Amino acid sequence: MKDTDKVAHRLALLEGLSLSPDDLEAIATEIEDLERVVAELEEFSQGTPWIALQLQPADKKI
Amino acid sequence: MDCAATPACRQKDLIMAPADILELNLADLSRLIAARELSSSVAVRAALTRLELLNDKLNAFITVLPEQALADAKKADEEIARGHYRSPLHGVPVSIKDMFEMAGVRTTGGSRILAAWVPETDAALVERLRAAGAIILGKTNLDEFGHGGTSTLSHFGPVHNPWHLERIAGGSSGGSAAAVASCIGPLSYGTETGSSVRRPASYCGIVGFKPTFGIISRHGSFRGAWSQDHVGLFARSVKDIALGLDAVAGFDLRDPASVRQENPAYASRLEAKVRGLRVGVLRRFLEGVDPAVRHAFDDALKVFAGLGSDGVDLDVPEISYAAVPSMMTSAAESAGINRRWFREHYHDFVPHVSRGLAVGMTITASEYLTVQRARHRIRQALQAAFKTVDIIASPTTSRVAPLLSEGLKGNGDDTRHASYNQSNLLRYPSMLGLPGCSLPCGINPEGLPIGLQLVGGWFADQTVLNAAFAYQSSTDWHTRRPAQAKT
Repeated sequence: MKDTDKVAHRLALLEGLSLSPDDLEAIATEIEDLERVVAELEEFSQGTPWIALQLQPADKKI
Repeated sequence: MDCAATPACRQKDLIMAPADILELNLADLSRLIAARELSSSVAVRAALTRLELLNDKLNAFITVLPEQALADAKKADEEIARGHYRSPLHGVPVSIKDMFEMAGVRTTGGSRILAAWVPETDAALVERLRAAGAIILGKTNLDEFGHGGTSTLSHFGPVHNPWHLERIAGGSSGGSAAAVASCIGPLSYGTETGSSVRRPASYCGIVGFKPTFGIISRHGSFRGAWSQDHVGLFARSVKDIALGLDAVAGFDLRDPASVRQENPAYASRLEAKVRGLRVGVLRRFLEGVDPAVRHAFDDALKVFAGLGSDGVDLDVPEISYAAVPSMMTSAAESAGINRRWFREHYHDFVPHVSRGLAVGMTITASEYLTVQRARHRIRQALQAAFKTVDIIASPTTSRVAPLLSEGLKGNGDDTRHASYNQSNLLRYPSMLGLPGCSLPCGINPEGLPIGLQLVGGWFADQTVLNAAFAYQSSTDWHTRRPAQAKT
């Protein structure tokens, strides 16, 4: 998928929200950054089979 | 007969100038109030007068509660006169970030959306403060719903740093930090999702402490990100932090992250002993740190060494990935939390906050889980690290409080790359739920405070507080005050 298509695909997730040109530009820039960041994390995240679960069991005693 | 009307019960207010009362730390103020040598009413009036004098400059408070605070102070004085002393916070003026619901008091989250909202119930924090007899002066300013690190993203305008009014206070709990730094009460409560307690504490030259995830209930506070939100505290001394923590820590079934504690008594267990304490330093993350900050940090390490602690060079390369998962988790979870408001009130949010929510809305489930796997990998690395050290020390921020004119770039410490950028050190404690403290460790050549960060392993809150207490017992940085605190 082209980069422009990727951004358009993500913007479609905003459920038809009406955005100003400034907002649209800022959000598109952020989304491009997001794509890069996720790609950076992809390999690193393979180093563990688990996801972080920060919630503690309610009966935990310390 | 009303006890307060009898000679034996009569209040014997010390003759103290208001400025001297305001300078008192919580422990001393509490002792005087308990001994009825100083009335809560006098202490609260002094704090309200300072607040009224400074709030136009600092914009630290969104809502001030003078009538209610004075009425509560009068009630506290009467209770104490009758021998019904509740806790070290009884009669003590405190403030809370406008993230906490307070029955009958508007609770805005710094947002236009809730600018006139008045909840009917108290947050757990407020319940506990009321039970402890604390006097709530008002609700402090913040980045909208906690989304930011500058306290400039508020519908009610930016918070100004009391050390230099043209600089940011840091965020998102900037109003709380500015209030305590300018001696408007000895204690304030804030929240932290990324660095919202430690960063403003560092920029404002006071102590900021965020306990282990689950120690303080978040029930009744606005959520920024479910898995990273914490309640934290601001004070001018570590002992005051411990007293403030004792009052509000404890299990609450209404917060699914809450943990049971048999005896949350941090203040009574506070001791200035660090002999043999293993203090880890992540030197690879110090490149790029401002020279004055680095110098102050190196001096702080010498203090710990002089007190008998053992310095340990640590290398945890996984932390170089910390900032990104922290920010992406916040973005995705806050979008989930605000999904309905996003659709109905998009244009009512502060613009930068609404754009952040929009980006969060586009994060897919699989991306979120990738981030959570990365986060867990960092957690595993820290679990291993805390087998070899007791605390990890670092500068809290890489530089002092930036100028307001720098805008959002003034945040200064955020990175969007895996790197050895110091901002990772600011981000990992909240992302992983570790107890973290920032305390003053120097003043730069421009007269601005520098923060030292101490982070402990999970539930090693007492270890962190003891190390911070030991440092403060050997240094006097925490006694420095901005000019605004001397008005």
